[in-house]
Amino acid sequence: MSTLTAIRRFRFRSIDGPAFLAGLIIAVPVMVTLVAGLFHGGGEAWIHIRDTLLAGYTTGTLGTLFLTGVLILGVAVPSAWLVTMYQFPGRGVFEWLLILPLAAPGYVLAYAYADLMGVMGPFQTALREATGWSARDYWFPDMRNLPGLAFVLACALYPYAYLTARAAFVSQSVCALEAARSLGASSLRRFWQVALPAARPAIAAGLALALMEAAADYGAAEYLGVPTLTFGIVRAWQSFGDAAAAARLALVLVAIVIGLVLAERHTRGRAGSQQSSTRWRTVSRTRLPFWAGLGASAACGLLFLVAFVLPVSRLIWLTLETRDQIAPIGRALVNTLILAGAGAALAFVLALVIALTARQRGLMAGFARLMASTGYAIPGAVLALGALIVMGYLGFTLTGIGAIAALAWVYASRFTTSGAEPMVAALGRAPASMGYAAESLGASPLRRAVSVDLPVALSGAMAGALILFVESLKELPATLMLRPFNWDTLSVRANAYATDERLAAAALPSLLITLAGLLPVILLSWRLSHSRPGDTQ
Amino acid sequence: MTAHLTAQAVTRRYGASAVVDGVSLDLEPGKITALLGGSGAGKSTLLRLFAGLEPLDDGDIRLGDQLLSSVGRTVPAEKRRIGLIFQDFALFPHLTAAQNVAFGLKSRGKEVARTIAADWLERLGLSGRAGAYPHELSGGEQQRVAIARALAPEPAAILMDEPFSGLDPALRGSVRDTALAAIRSAGIPALLVTHDPTEALESADCIAILQAGRLLQQGSAADIYLTPESAAIAAALGPVSRLPSDAVPDGLAGTGLPDGTELVVRPEGVLLDADSPVRAQTVSSQLTGPLCRLVLACGGQMLTALVPRMDAPEEGEEVGIRLDPALTFIFQSAHS
Repeated sequence: MSTLTAIRRFRFRSIDGPAFLAGLIIAVPVMVTLVAGLFHGGGEAWIHIRDTLLAGYTTGTLGTLFLTGVLILGVAVPSAWLVTMYQFPGRGVFEWLLILPLAAPGYVLAYAYADLMGVMGPFQTALREATGWSARDYWFPDMRNLPGLAFVLACALYPYAYLTARAAFVSQSVCALEAARSLGASSLRRFWQVALPAARPAIAAGLALALMEAAADYGAAEYLGVPTLTFGIVRAWQSFGDAAAAARLALVLVAIVIGLVLAERHTRGRAGSQQSSTRWRTVSRTRLPFWAGLGASAACGLLFLVAFVLPVSRLIWLTLETRDQIAPIGRALVNTLILAGAGAALAFVLALVIALTARQRGLMAGFARLMASTGYAIPGAVLALGALIVMGYLGFTLTGIGAIAALAWVYASRFTTSGAEPMVAALGRAPASMGYAAESLGASPLRRAVSVDLPVALSGAMAGALILFVESLKELPATLMLRPFNWDTLSVRANAYATDERLAAAALPSLLITLAGLLPVILLSWRLSHSRPGDTQ
Repeated sequence: MTAHLTAQAVTRRYGASAVVDGVSLDLEPGKITALLGGSGAGKSTLLRLFAGLEPLDDGDIRLGDQLLSSVGRTVPAEKRRIGLIFQDFALFPHLTAAQNVAFGLKSRGKEVARTIAADWLERLGLSGRAGAYPHELSGGEQQRVAIARALAPEPAAILMDEPFSGLDPALRGSVRDTALAAIRSAGIPALLVTHDPTEALESADCIAILQAGRLLQQGSAADIYLTPESAAIAAALGPVSRLPSDAVPDGLAGTGLPDGTELVVRPEGVLLDADSPVRAQTVSSQLTGPLCRLVLACGGQMLTALVPRMDAPEEGEEVGIRLDPALTFIFQSAHS
């Protein structure tokens, strides 16, 4: 049904009110930023930014996205292929270990890697001790540039593409691979010409998700000194105090994000990605010969080591080494719990509305879902701007309850989709006929949603709430821009210490963030290892 | 090109249980052999052994005098030149019909491959659909593309795993006729795995019956239908009525049956004969398409008969019956 006919046939139902309201709440921040940027952002600050900084920001963001994308594809797809198609020592463990790097946000890895690879870091120190060189006698990879930023972001974000690629490979038609064998295709050709093209849309979706996160990054880019658009937006607000100019800068960033979404759509193309296979059979994994198997284990192990073990253990070591320098973070912890808790609570309610109305389709449900997924694609800094502009317009200041509410609003606007996902999945496991049964017994759509679908959706609520809480807690740029005066959270503290070159003090809040980040990731990997490919996830 | 594909005492075990147990099967060039059996009989496993998708635990598989599989040595599927056709078609979703067919023609060069693919699509009545992607094709079209794809590289043999059971019943007949004509004219050994006895009888030249991993009987379709070696084989090829020797009504089987045997008769072997001294009561009479299916009570036993509609008695009517000796078999009873 086209949107137009849907609009013409629209009849207001009892569930449409809540759905519309949820969609509106989510949509306002980005809408406000776009309108402000389009119609009000042309002041002096903007002219200065346009003439001196814009080109650098844009190339910084595009360059980072390109290099990060290449790195992610280079590690995520081969590792997903290895763990689904081959049997080698440690395969089962690597299958879920490789998701863990998702726990640490990019800025945490940036702090750890800048320290690890720095002049005073363990590698360079060891090199100097072993050779007797001085710091000027040799070249060593520098993290404080664009390739360094891309490396750090790829480490933090590759699991998105790994997850979707793995899911695509697991559910691929085994028969198509066998047909390719019978037609004389070598294993290399089967990968390049059968499995990879079939998985391409899934891989593109995962990559697009990762790159949206990369575009939204502020902390890593700031710390590694790479000027990007998100960095520029926060800077424009902080140093010029000009929200409208920042909003105009945000237009460029939003255009790039839309470009990503369109590129992802384009990869679907006309060629069918839907596997024609209906019969499902376990992929029988090929056992690799001894040395090849060892090589596969080493490759997966190296990836996990570089993306997770090395940076996290460096943070642990830093924390333990400088116990006496640890700054108190009790206050920041409480602030984090309050802010992330408020954001998660609001987002949870919206996510529930979206999950319940999604089940009954309709125009308003579609609107709410579209807004929620749009918010997810938009960087937090852009949404924070929208909230700032609304607050300024209404005459609120960034103190107390007003700021908490504004920040919760931004968190909800950005993360509601990811919280709704497990609830939609829970509903998906119940047959659609359950709802029809309720309706045939005379229940209104609203009553059906509350008394039939709600209890089912709540089985996914724990996961949804956890994801929302942790996403809010990891968020940095919006928190930096909107937190109530003098309210530092863990992420703000880590950022402040790191920027002051007090890495030892930044290590503990960074570790706590990573630890919290592990919870939903472990939940995810548990679901992964307990689900069959036939399941609707 | 005209080599036989032969399995010699082939066994395949999963753990302790033999899924395929000492099967010997000879597939003749230019003939379609149906491998018939219920689910779990080992049909698909035997096909995968022929295809080289699984190693075997005993016996060997040869193509002419070339050894394909033996214990510890399996020529990989991609080196065998044996075509495969699956129930779910298994087309490559990102390739057009023509590209799917050309997939196995890589070594022939792009231009030649394109020409050959176009030829095959035309032979199977698909020339208008060359540029369509699999999801744009109907089920019947998809299966014909799959058949063209398997035959285009001129394989040494072709294996089909329930190739027609995914199709709409209305479509099945015509797709099957087109497909099997193309396969027959290729003049290579062909194996058709199916659980449907009607399909096996209608399309195959030879039939091999597999049960619990063992080959029960093989031969030409007519031979197996008319001279089954056991009651189980007779039942595998279609419905039968089975009567223990001591329950056979007087006069129905001539002089009476030896003890410990049973009488097996196909429904079309139960004939109506007004002059016959053996009388039966019509319990039900149902028109099932071309023929009328009767359930007859005779001497306390139930018999099923298939008769032309015009001859069919009413329910409750008494009729005289006799048996067609060609369709009536006597076997040692399974219980004795």
